[in-house]
Amino acid sequence: MSAVKANLLQGTLDLLILKALGPGELHGLGISRRIELITRGTFLVKPGSLFPALHRMEEAGWLRSHWGESENNRRAKFYELTKLGTKQIEAETEQWARVAMGMANALKAV
Amino acid sequence: MQTLSRFMAGLRNLLRQPQIESQLDDEVRAYVDIVSDERIAAGMSPSEARRTALAEFGGIEQTKQAVRDHRAGALIETCLQDVRYALRQIRLNRGFTLTAVITLGLGIGATSAIFSAVYFLLLKPLPYRDANRLVTITDVHSAPLLDPDFIVAKSESKSFDQVAGFHHMPSNDNLTGVGDPIRVTRAAVTANFFSMLGVAPQVGRNFLSSEDWSGSPNVVMLSDRLWRNKFNADSGIVGKAITLNGASYTVIGVLPRYFSFPSPFLEPDLYGSAALEKDTTVSFTKQLWSIQAIAHLRPGATVEQAQAEMQAFFQARAQGYPSVLADWAKSRRIRVETLQRHLTGDERKPLFILLASVAAVLLISCANVANLQLARAVSRRHETALRGALGASRARLIRQLLVESLLLSSLAAVLGLVIALAISSLIRHTGTVDTSQAPARLTQVLRLPFGKLSAVIHVDGWVLAFTIGLALATTLLFGLAPAISGTRVDLRNALQSAALRISSGREQRLLRHSLLVIEVGLAVTLLVAAGLLVRSFARVMSYDSGIDASNTLTGVTSLHTGVASLSHPSPPWPRERFFDLYDRLLPRLKALPGVRFAALTSSFPFDSLQNDRMFVYDGVPVPPVAERQFVPITEITADYFRAVGTPIITGRLFNSTDNQTAPPVVIVNVSFAKRFFGGNALGKRFKTDAVQAGDLFSLKRKLSTVTIVGVVDDVRHGGPEQEVQPEAFQPLAQGAPVVNTKLVLRTWEDPALLANPLRAAVASIDAQHPLFDLQTMEQRVADLVAQRRLIMLLTACFAMLAVILSAIGVYGVFAYSVNQRQQEMGIRLALGSTRGGVLRLVMVQAVRLVALGGVLGLSAAFVLSRLLNSLLIGVTPHDPVAFSLAWVLMTFVALLASTIPAAQAARTDLTNVLRSE
Repeated sequence: MSAVKANLLQGTLDLLILKALGPGELHGLGISRRIELITRGTFLVKPGSLFPALHRMEEAGWLRSHWGESENNRRAKFYELTKLGTKQIEAETEQWARVAMGMANALKAV
Repeated sequence: MQTLSRFMAGLRNLLRQPQIESQLDDEVRAYVDIVSDERIAAGMSPSEARRTALAEFGGIEQTKQAVRDHRAGALIETCLQDVRYALRQIRLNRGFTLTAVITLGLGIGATSAIFSAVYFLLLKPLPYRDANRLVTITDVHSAPLLDPDFIVAKSESKSFDQVAGFHHMPSNDNLTGVGDPIRVTRAAVTANFFSMLGVAPQVGRNFLSSEDWSGSPNVVMLSDRLWRNKFNADSGIVGKAITLNGASYTVIGVLPRYFSFPSPFLEPDLYGSAALEKDTTVSFTKQLWSIQAIAHLRPGATVEQAQAEMQAFFQARAQGYPSVLADWAKSRRIRVETLQRHLTGDERKPLFILLASVAAVLLISCANVANLQLARAVSRRHETALRGALGASRARLIRQLLVESLLLSSLAAVLGLVIALAISSLIRHTGTVDTSQAPARLTQVLRLPFGKLSAVIHVDGWVLAFTIGLALATTLLFGLAPAISGTRVDLRNALQSAALRISSGREQRLLRHSLLVIEVGLAVTLLVAAGLLVRSFARVMSYDSGIDASNTLTGVTSLHTGVASLSHPSPPWPRERFFDLYDRLLPRLKALPGVRFAALTSSFPFDSLQNDRMFVYDGVPVPPVAERQFVPITEITADYFRAVGTPIITGRLFNSTDNQTAPPVVIVNVSFAKRFFGGNALGKRFKTDAVQAGDLFSLKRKLSTVTIVGVVDDVRHGGPEQEVQPEAFQPLAQGAPVVNTKLVLRTWEDPALLANPLRAAVASIDAQHPLFDLQTMEQRVADLVAQRRLIMLLTACFAMLAVILSAIGVYGVFAYSVNQRQQEMGIRLALGSTRGGVLRLVMVQAVRLVALGGVLGLSAAFVLSRLLNSLLIGVTPHDPVAFSLAWVLMTFVALLASTIPAAQAARTDLTNVLRSE
């Protein structure tokens, strides 16, 4: 039961990160800000969850990173989607839609 | 694709770790920097901006750890980390590591060795088919059966589906015609013997049941050993003839390589048929043989049923005995026991004693390590809490301890294996090895401390695994339990109390102190046992053996051609031929360089004596069979007593004039003189058999009167711990020919140097006669006490080990408690307590625990020492010396061990303690 929940949440975070990177490369803080923006403040991703997820997704080959300059001239690590990551968005979106529909149906029932 | 990507990432992570770590650092720092830059730009002060940014981030270290934990290959990496960390811990805490490893290693080693010995001697099934259904049939004194009874039992018993047997006395033959002559041991077995044991010949055939009976053709089966050594493993041997004692025997088969004969006393070189008589009456008019019976229980039959049946069977058989034997036969008690038990018989007790001692040592070492681990876990509480605070999960902390324990146990296991191998080889190699080249390993095997099965004792893998497992469990249980409870406590509390060195709880102290008391108690019990055995051994060694064993070389030559041979007696030599050989051999021996005295004898000083010569007072008629007295008489040549070093008390020694034509004379020992002549034996006469008798009950004995011309000192036959028996000696020239002629040479120098010249001298007389069992007298004496010495030595070693381990335990417990109570000691000193007072405080606690342990140990010893009874000579199981010495020694050592921490407590530096607050 708890495993399902964790998977769901992890999947959610992954999808949010992938989605946030859709328009172009961002550094960690940027991703966090962008997720806050696109979910209209529903999700606040703390660095404690963000960084492990970024590293994991990079190792999975969905993201790639390089060091660059931030808007205020700080050296920062920027992440962008790989081809695999773009494909992953489709897969995750589809899965999410299924889950959402399932949940909606479940809640409507009874 | 994804898996591959993660795999590559894992490799990268493992290989380029420092780089990846610093990048992670930079990345996290950049996040914080960017946030604080924005805040500064928004008008916040730089320090305030940085503080809020950090606070918003959450724990930096935890985040980094979370990233690391999610990385590919994280498990391997953290495990490697754990191993590295554990190695560092082991290096840093050298004292702890050394103590724990040595303690556990000694425990594992000693226990594995002794457990293995017990396994091989007592538990491992014998290498025969259906071995646990095989039993032996003897009387309660382990005496074998008479052959007529055996033959009837073989066909009539209902509890067994097979009864097989072999002649109790093997024949010792001279094998000639193949290279140098050698002496071989031939056992006579029934035809069903090997098939019952499930042993099939590797070449040729088994005996046929028609060959069981006397008068059947001369056939033999060879042991693999003899076949290889003497016949070059010739597979065409079957059907060929060999010469034993001058008679021809046809080889019908060769036994398999790893066959071991099921007798504790015998490992024959070859096997003959049983040559039984079909006449099953027991009478004085015929030769009776002793048969060792081995039987296979019928399915469903139990040992108890078989024993009851055999008891009834032998009662019934007794009806047919001659009247003089009937009383003895009716009171006979039959014993049916498993073959395994029969083979290890007397060795069980000492082994169980060793087992108990070694188990005690193992318990002590486990208790010790438990205490060490408890102490360390508590003193590591601060470290554990800190690691928890820095992001280590509980599982991670537990795994870390697990790795440490594993590492510790592995080190201990290596040490333990070395020790186990050393002890096993000590057990295997105690007792000397026969120096003669004869393939008969009989004498060699019999000299092993735990009988013939000793040769196969080695360290058993499962036993080793078991003890290592036990050690691992101990380190884990006592290292992990406090650690788990330690990780559960709330952080601030743990950090604080650890920093303040608040001592461990009451429960833990009770556990530690109980362990200590048990350790001390076990050590005291072991010390008592060792003390009793050491005192027994000293007593045994202090007995006057009656001979001078130094500078004496001994050997045996078999001048034999078939006198009273078992089944197929070849024509015996005429008496003159023996004496011709003696007359030529003795001068040769005396002429060897470095020889002071040389003598021939029928029996060495420590051989067991045969009470087979009748003793009748002069002038008294021969009493009826039941009232006859028997004494042992040994044939010797003139210089025998000078050669073995037995002093003559009164009278004279034999000389060359005491020959066959002179009046018969004897020399007796002091016990003989006391028993039969009230101590005044010189010049007295008695009647005895003129020739060595084969049959105890024969009515046809030729008696002759002999005169006692000398009295010699007593010799303890069968070993220094045996009672002295009356015995008499007669000149070889006046006695019967001696088949196994024994040579005794007293030398000026090292007797071992004479071995080869002696061999050459014997060969020069007659190349047909082998010289064997060549040993110095000192070796013979050492072999007699070999088992006793080994048991004493091992028990004493285990006891000393127990004492040392317990002392380490005492030291450890008090060193720890003093360390924990440093503050308290400081406060006591600050409040005016003297340093002596502090010392006393610690010592009193130590004395209390050690005294309690001592009392427990002594009470246990008082109850248990009776089990040692059979091994004790000249001391009672409650010997006050052994008890008080054990107690004093343990108490002294334990208190000595506790003075080191106590003195440390007394030296507590006041200012230091108060400053560290």
